Amino acid sequence: MVALITGIIGIVTAATIVILIRRDHLHVRYGLWWVIAAIAFAMLGLFPALFDNIARYMGIAYSPVLALTIGAVILVLKILVMDIERSRNAIRLHRLIQRIALLESDLREMQGKPREADPDEDHGELDDALHK
Amino acid sequence: MTTPTDKPYISLPRCIVIIPARNEAQDIAFVIDEIKKYCNFPVLVVDDASTDDTIIKAREAGAIIVPLVVQLGAWGATQTGLRYALQNGYTYAATMDADGQHLAESLPALLQPIISKEADVTIGTCTRRGSIMRKIAWTLMKRVSGLRLEDLTSGFRIYDRRAIRRLAAWQATLLEYQDVGVLAMLQASGIRIKDVEVNMLPRRHGMSRVFYSWTSVIYYMSYTLLLSFTKRGVKHHQP
Repeated sequence: MVALITGIIGIVTAATIVILIRRDHLHVRYGLWWVIAAIAFAMLGLFPALFDNIARYMGIAYSPVLALTIGAVILVLKILVMDIERSRNAIRLHRLIQRIALLESDLREMQGKPREADPDEDHGELDDALHK
Repeated sequence: MTTPTDKPYISLPRCIVIIPARNEAQDIAFVIDEIKKYCNFPVLVVDDASTDDTIIKAREAGAIIVPLVVQLGAWGATQTGLRYALQNGYTYAATMDADGQHLAESLPALLQPIISKEADVTIGTCTRRGSIMRKIAWTLMKRVSGLRLEDLTSGFRIYDRRAIRRLAAWQATLLEYQDVGVLAMLQASGIRIKDVEVNMLPRRHGMSRVFYSWTSVIYYMSYTLLLSFTKRGVKHHQP
């Protein structure tokens, strides 16, 4: 019964990923990772004997420990990769913001027109996003 | 009130003064006027998404404005200024705070070691300022980073062209503050940094952008200590 439930969870997760990609809510490169994770989840759920064999081969008496350890390691690695990508994106965003400011300065100089402060301009949301 | 006639007036080609400013409408014009009394350098105000009249006041005072649409913090704004300096072919860039703490009359003293090729970067230091807590923090930061400089946090600096190029690079964009990370990057590139003792005034208005709450202080210290530790002994290729 447990095998069936975990198998179904895996299949549903995989299906959700496909739908998210179809609806352009998820980049294919990230979707790929999650589809693989979901398939692995479903396989291990549907065929628990597979994992028992691997655990026995590695000398682990209680196979769920192996599953949980591998799962935890993979999650930590995934989160680390995500933070590396976040750092890269933060650099790109900051460089773009700087570039826009420099171009705006050049443009105003060429036009000889001062930029007036726009009180309606909302900086808050992006500021928060940048400094999180 | 001092005038250009009774104080040393610097006329040096290809030097720019960069002032990162956020909501400094009260002081910015005063700061720019003071600078213009002592030198003929163009003044660049990098507006860090201010919500007050900083841009208008700075422009009226005769500064060039680079307006950031999103707040990047003091270092993000300063780096924008350095990118401007690099793009426009400036040989030297001075950075000063917008709150009136840094005195324009100290600019000649800061420029001297760079012009005489004694250093590539000078830092206006004022070790008298700061509370005991701040001094403990400085000592800790110096110990961990291995930087042999008096005042790591001072934003009153002059950079030569090589330093400008190094700091305008994308590697420096990852930094949040202008102290340990920036100085370690310069030192790792073989750029010579020199402390110059100067006078500084208390802030005219407002509060520090780094030390505005206990949470910010804890974050700043944790960030800086981790950076100091991880960047220790790093060597960069010559820019």
